[in-house]
Amino acid sequence: MATVRHHIVIGSGVAGNQAAETLRERDPESRVTIITLSRLPFFNRYDLPRVFRGERDWRNFIIYPAEYYRKNRIALRRATRVVNVDSTAQTLTLEHKEILHFDSLLVASGAGPYLPEELSEFRPLLHGFGAFRDAIEVADALPKNGHAILLGGDTIGLDLARTLLDIGHRVTLVAGPYTFWPHEVAAEDRSKYVAALERMGIVVVDANQRGCLTTIEKGAKGLSARRVVFGDGSDISGDVVMPFFGVAPSLDFMLGSGVDIERGLLVSPDLRTTNPNIYAAGDVCQIWTDREHRYCFYHGWKNVRAMGELAARNITGANEPWVPTQDESLQLTKDGKIHSPFWEYQ
Amino acid sequence: MGNTPFRPEAAAVSQTADGGVFVSNDPRDIGWVKENVPCQHACPAGTNVPSYIRSIVEGRYGESYEVNREANVLPGVLGRICSRTCEDACRHGWPGNGDPVAICNLKRVAADLKNVGHRITESLFAPTGKRIAIVGAGPAGVAAAHDLSLFGHDVVIYEREERPGGMLRYGIPEFRLPRAILDTELHNALRLGVHLRTGVEVGNEPGQIRVSQLLADYDAVLLATGCTAALPIPLRDEWEKREPTEVPGIEYGLDFLVAMHRGIKKTVGRRVAVIGAGFTALDCARVAVRLGGAEVTIHIRTAEEYIPVTQEEIFEAKREGVRIKGLRSPMKFVLDAEGKVAGIEFAQNRLGGWREKGRRLAIPIEGSEFIEPCDTVIIAIGQQTMHDFTDTPLQLDRWKNARLGDNGMTSQPGVFAAGDYVSGASTVVQSVGHGRHMARRIDAWLLGRERLRQVVRIEPVAAPLRERADDFIPRQHMPTAALGKRVKSMAREVEAGFDEATAQEEAKRCYLCNLRYQIDVDRCIYCRACIEVAPRNCIKLVGGVEIDADGAYGKLIETKEWNKIGAIWIDNNQCIRCGACYNACPVKCISISRCELTEVEA
Repeated sequence: MATVRHHIVIGSGVAGNQAAETLRERDPESRVTIITLSRLPFFNRYDLPRVFRGERDWRNFIIYPAEYYRKNRIALRRATRVVNVDSTAQTLTLEHKEILHFDSLLVASGAGPYLPEELSEFRPLLHGFGAFRDAIEVADALPKNGHAILLGGDTIGLDLARTLLDIGHRVTLVAGPYTFWPHEVAAEDRSKYVAALERMGIVVVDANQRGCLTTIEKGAKGLSARRVVFGDGSDISGDVVMPFFGVAPSLDFMLGSGVDIERGLLVSPDLRTTNPNIYAAGDVCQIWTDREHRYCFYHGWKNVRAMGELAARNITGANEPWVPTQDESLQLTKDGKIHSPFWEYQ
Repeated sequence: MGNTPFRPEAAAVSQTADGGVFVSNDPRDIGWVKENVPCQHACPAGTNVPSYIRSIVEGRYGESYEVNREANVLPGVLGRICSRTCEDACRHGWPGNGDPVAICNLKRVAADLKNVGHRITESLFAPTGKRIAIVGAGPAGVAAAHDLSLFGHDVVIYEREERPGGMLRYGIPEFRLPRAILDTELHNALRLGVHLRTGVEVGNEPGQIRVSQLLADYDAVLLATGCTAALPIPLRDEWEKREPTEVPGIEYGLDFLVAMHRGIKKTVGRRVAVIGAGFTALDCARVAVRLGGAEVTIHIRTAEEYIPVTQEEIFEAKREGVRIKGLRSPMKFVLDAEGKVAGIEFAQNRLGGWREKGRRLAIPIEGSEFIEPCDTVIIAIGQQTMHDFTDTPLQLDRWKNARLGDNGMTSQPGVFAAGDYVSGASTVVQSVGHGRHMARRIDAWLLGRERLRQVVRIEPVAAPLRERADDFIPRQHMPTAALGKRVKSMAREVEAGFDEATAQEEAKRCYLCNLRYQIDVDRCIYCRACIEVAPRNCIKLVGGVEIDADGAYGKLIETKEWNKIGAIWIDNNQCIRCGACYNACPVKCISISRCELTEVEA
């Protein structure tokens, strides 16, 4: 009697859920398990700015109801941390000591907000934006017509800035090398895009011209809650300070697994890691591209979803290479506004 | 209730004191310590880690310092810059146990918090009249000189630099190792009659002292000259034969650091590229930041996960603005119209198999070349040993290092060698450990017998020394100097050290693996109370025990069938010394003994 294959997917984001769905379609008899650290089922991270418009019920952000997982026989294990993967034994260990065997493993654990090491000491004073709870906390911390200071200014932050401005908040961007991440903006075009940000209503401050950011501290009593101080002695006060410096792959549990890692999990064009039974998809992986002769990250909802689907197809024998699905260039609209293809989803 | 002292059954055990304290040279006891105290076993100097951490818990910092000093004469130095192989081995860091104990930071605590005017304990042998010359006052030479002077020999160190310390002084930046600490500990190590002759070069040039002359003048010679010559960087095309450092803006990392520490003013450009993946590369990059480099990048062949430096050092370098870029091999240098360096051409790498010492192979990919612009290049890919200073030919091994016989001697009778000169570029703690080891080899050769032998001191312990709550204390964070201030100064120490309260918290995390928990099966009533309270699968019902080749107890043969149970056994490899079993036992048949490796006169 043939044994039932067990496909395990780590991560319940776009890539993980798309992969689970494809695995179920292509291998109907198999066991499919999604393991996620999140307490919430698959929700739309791109929709989090809606929280600032008063949408505070997490159920309205959920993409698949519990019934979907039951119907598709996908075991969804929430609030579960993987602490170790043994690629040779094909097992993974969960934080509560449970050991699971897998026939195929897809790592789609995504990426968390990256905080540059030089800012790590200010972490307690910063507001994150990586999870639903973070968005609620920021919304609570911003008074009416409040002032948000965004550091870095990646496209996730700029997307949030659009919403904040739209509902009457002020936004100051402390710009630097991460502004517009993950877009690579040529030096000669940068001023054009910065001007577009200013037309949107964002106050743009160049950190280098002010002698770099030196301190973030609590504001004095009666003043704004946070104060950002620069090397030239100038400062900015605001209600929240939010870092937006791109993302860093979430793969601590893969260290020592025997799978090759640089910044992300290194995968061949078919999304296979250096272990034949382990694949990766989404923001966690760096894909080898023959054209550029290097390992590249690909971001954005559409890319990530396509990666999840491709990985699942290849796990079930398709053997197809990755082809990016999304134009990654930053654009200026006819009315002079910035538009990032990474703001498009679904 | 009386605590049952553990009494080994081996014949090779002798009672040395009242109160049930024994010393044992039974290989099973020595094997038990090596297997069950992973930090001490991993330490190249063999430091008794649990003992010095326990002294910190008890607030006896001076005693803690002395325990350290038995194995390593530079605790304050290594408490700052050790490579921390002990922490990689720490049981607290094993899967499911959390993070390893901050062993290195606690070593620094012992040095920093001991009383001013603390009394140093040295155990001296009578003078022998033997004279030994040591070439090199680096960590290996100093450690050997100290131990040889304890053995009663007259020691002279010849050092070519103006000050002792070797790479500690000339290779490691002051922001990682304050020179006042180094000076104090070197002075303590050398003050037992060691004669230090600095500014004296041993070599074959006129005015230099020859090794053959030393051999004629002394009873033994120890070469501890380190490993200081830069490894040539493999490049392509015309750069295969060209010396890169002839180009303005390109320098070897160790030469860069040594020159700076000799007092030569160093400068770097705006964009600094450091090639290499070790502590030297990291130090060069952090020095470059302090010299005003605006964009300092370390280029490595593999990835951060595989480079042989501590995560703390990587983190601090990144905090200071250093960036690390992986998967690239340098191919050639790009020069501007004036012949100065303007960039590096790299090839993209893919990871290959494994090299020795757990390092990864990197394989350049044809056609993947790209250029990284820069105006300063620091090459820090490693060092090699040089032998041209000696006029006595020595047999070399395949790595071109001096080959040592079983007695530690080179192929030249009377000439010994220690530290990086033998091993190639290694770590400070390895050099200290090897220097100490070579002192014993030289002493044995000079006197015709070993004067110290290793034994296990076994002492009953009345009750558990830890509480279960200690297992949940998180690893304590090392405070550091404010970023803005530290990068403006080459001398300001980055790590601030633990205060006493933090030190106490961190020290309580140590499992004290040198405590051996045992069940007296004759008194056990097999109630399973200990199994019920054990936080791990550490108490086992066994049907038998495999015996290792050295006679030590090996793997337990577990059983769940009551009619096959031969004993109930505490698996000390799994045990985290929480004491829960001891406290739960209704008949008090569990005993605790402290087992420590020590040396006694042979």
